[in-house]
Amino acid sequence: MPDAVVKERTGSLLGLLFRVKARSLRNRVRQTINQGPLRVTATAALMLVIWVGLYFLFDAVFKQLRRTPLEATVAIPLVFNFFFVVMLCLLTFSNAIIAYGSLFEREESAYLLSSPLSPKDVVTLKYLESLVMASWSLVLLGVPLMLAMANMTNEPYFYVLFLAFFLSFIPIPGALGLLLAWAAARFFPRRLARTAAGVAGVVTAGLLLWGLHTLQFAGGDTQVWLRTFYARMSIIEAALLPNHWVATGIDHALHDHLSKSLIYLGVTAANGLFLSWLVVVLVSHWFDGALNRAATGRGSGRRPAAAASGGVAGWIFAYLPLPLRLVAAKDLRTFFRDPMQWSQLLILFALLGLYLTNMPTLRTQLGGRGGWSLVIPFLNLCTLSLILATFTCRFVFPLVSLEGQKFWMIGLLPMRRSHILHAKFAFAMTVTLAGAVTAMIIASIILELDSIWTFIHLVATIAICVALCGCAVGIGARVPMFQERKLARIANGLGGTINLLASLAVAALVLTAMGYATYRSRDTNVGDWPDAITLITCLVAVIIGVSGGMFAMRIGAAHFDRVEI
Amino acid sequence: MESLIHAIELHGVRKCYGRTVALDHLDLAVRQGELFAFLGPNGAGKTTTIKLITGLLRPDQGDIHVCGHHIGYNGVAAKAKIAYVPDQPFLYEKLTGREFLYFVAELYAIDAPRRDAVLEELIAALAIDDFLDQMTESYSHGMKQKVVLAAALLHDPAVLVIDEPMVGLDPRTIRAVKDLFVAHARKGRTVFMSTHTLDMAEAVADRIGIIRRGQLIAVGTLAELRAKARREHSLEEIFLQLTEESDA
Repeated sequence: MPDAVVKERTGSLLGLLFRVKARSLRNRVRQTINQGPLRVTATAALMLVIWVGLYFLFDAVFKQLRRTPLEATVAIPLVFNFFFVVMLCLLTFSNAIIAYGSLFEREESAYLLSSPLSPKDVVTLKYLESLVMASWSLVLLGVPLMLAMANMTNEPYFYVLFLAFFLSFIPIPGALGLLLAWAAARFFPRRLARTAAGVAGVVTAGLLLWGLHTLQFAGGDTQVWLRTFYARMSIIEAALLPNHWVATGIDHALHDHLSKSLIYLGVTAANGLFLSWLVVVLVSHWFDGALNRAATGRGSGRRPAAAASGGVAGWIFAYLPLPLRLVAAKDLRTFFRDPMQWSQLLILFALLGLYLTNMPTLRTQLGGRGGWSLVIPFLNLCTLSLILATFTCRFVFPLVSLEGQKFWMIGLLPMRRSHILHAKFAFAMTVTLAGAVTAMIIASIILELDSIWTFIHLVATIAICVALCGCAVGIGARVPMFQERKLARIANGLGGTINLLASLAVAALVLTAMGYATYRSRDTNVGDWPDAITLITCLVAVIIGVSGGMFAMRIGAAHFDRVEI
Repeated sequence: MESLIHAIELHGVRKCYGRTVALDHLDLAVRQGELFAFLGPNGAGKTTTIKLITGLLRPDQGDIHVCGHHIGYNGVAAKAKIAYVPDQPFLYEKLTGREFLYFVAELYAIDAPRRDAVLEELIAALAIDDFLDQMTESYSHGMKQKVVLAAALLHDPAVLVIDEPMVGLDPRTIRAVKDLFVAHARKGRTVFMSTHTLDMAEAVADRIGIIRRGQLIAVGTLAELRAKARREHSLEEIFLQLTEESDA
């Protein structure tokens, strides 16, 4: 073999890393287009629908605001301030999670670090990757916002300026996220799960307290409510916060103060770039220590062993026969031992909690008008359905695919394969029912809903749970991805898309029927018994939900019993 | 660093995972041109040692030098001399095998004519031509292992560090890999491999080190280990006896 001549490499190899990433991306795009042109077209069409919908939504909001110029003067900067402060928090956490995973848990980092690349090259690459992965959706969703705003200004430079503000802002949460990821690896490697749980808990509690404090006050007077709301929100308009620079810059652009707007753009860009440079240099310098702590500082992960069918998980599924109980209990333990899974569910239910805390104000507005008080429970049902659909599509759908790696064991169990699906269904129903029924009971108590309507909404909630869990498990078994091990990839694959569309379709049918029942009851008085047609409509809604879920389960079971792996 | 005797040197290296001591004051020197086999039961500290040598972990105590470069203070220079093949081979799944090999060649600044010449030899030796232009996501474990081995040998590293090189390989490739390792060592390069395949260690290793619970319990040629174990038997029996004695 000829001796290879290895020259001493000097300088950064970032260009090479970018080229290899670009080639990977090109191959991925080509493969996706070749393998599923229909899927690509459907995704593009769906995105276009979302874009157009968002554009009209933003346009309507801004037009509404401009009808009352005084309110618009106060509200528009506040809306932007609020939007960017929320983005600052969300993007910081999202960047932190992505940066932690790619720097400290992926094999790629270990491979690159064993080559003659400097840690700075690796950290810079991973920083930029997390920046793109965490922020692309902000830019994407920002485009319709930008177009709607541009409608108000009639200035062509506004488009460019708005996009420039987005791009200048993104590095700030990106750098903070990278710093957070480094700190988590360096200082909390043993308690990463507990730290993540703590952060999720604090964020949840903070959201609830903030929601209670900021939203729930001042009886039924809208103007007083708005004025108090603005006053309490002024905290996010502090001059040192990045959201203030962006919001003020956009506001100046809206009012044709181009030079002032450019100054704020400069301030945002300069701070974003400086912070990025500083954090990348610092994290690169201390990277070895953090990597070492992340790899070796973790605890043993030992847990007191419960009997496979015992412990709390076994007790929860006591109603299942033993083999099914084993599988369901295993899924429940796996779910609660993965902070990435349960923390997202916690955040979803925190948002629901925020909504529930605000309901008494809505009740004051609508509650006095007889049957219209049923609108709020109906909206609760819609909100709950969306939250449950998010959970089932993201976490329940991949359950069957994830068994692919251990199918040698599950396939040999002395029971029909389809029974495994029943266990998955039982697990999903238990988790979703626990959250959904509790939320609906609390909402009904707050709204002082009639017992008959409470009962109807609870049954409808159960029907939606059956529909969503049945779709997720059934379609998960019909279109599995047994080779894939990552939850997100399974959920985002072809089967995941089918499941999402099917779940939304069944939920929409149930909600349409329930919406019609609510509409029919608009003129009834509080305490009146619903008429026969209304009851039949509710029954139809329940039948649609249950049969939709069961149908998906049957299709999945038939395929799962004969599938070859 | 032609005058160096030792390609890898570990002095008093200690490494802990929390309260668990993975390596306990390990002293080890591997010479240039030596094919060194590192043996030990599961959890003995083999992979930890390899990760320390490649700079992926930091020792809690002690120093590590690769080709005279301190891995902590002069890591980039040290890593330019090393090629590392982990037990779970890493490849970019959306690149073809050939694209990955070209990337590695560029990473080590190998010019195109030389890259093509070396690759031609490696492709023939490892029989990877049939699938080299497919995306690596479709590869089996053995196919990945072959491509990663080719990538590791591409820049003719002064020190080749391999964790379990034979997992997933077919008998013909195992034979080819043995030949490649021996040829590499005979060129004055160093091969440091951790393995459970005792037959291979017995057949090709110049020296063998046995680690048990983070401590090096024996190191030497096969003859020296036989003497230490007071048995004229296979490496397997020597390994079992020495690790049992260590337990006792």
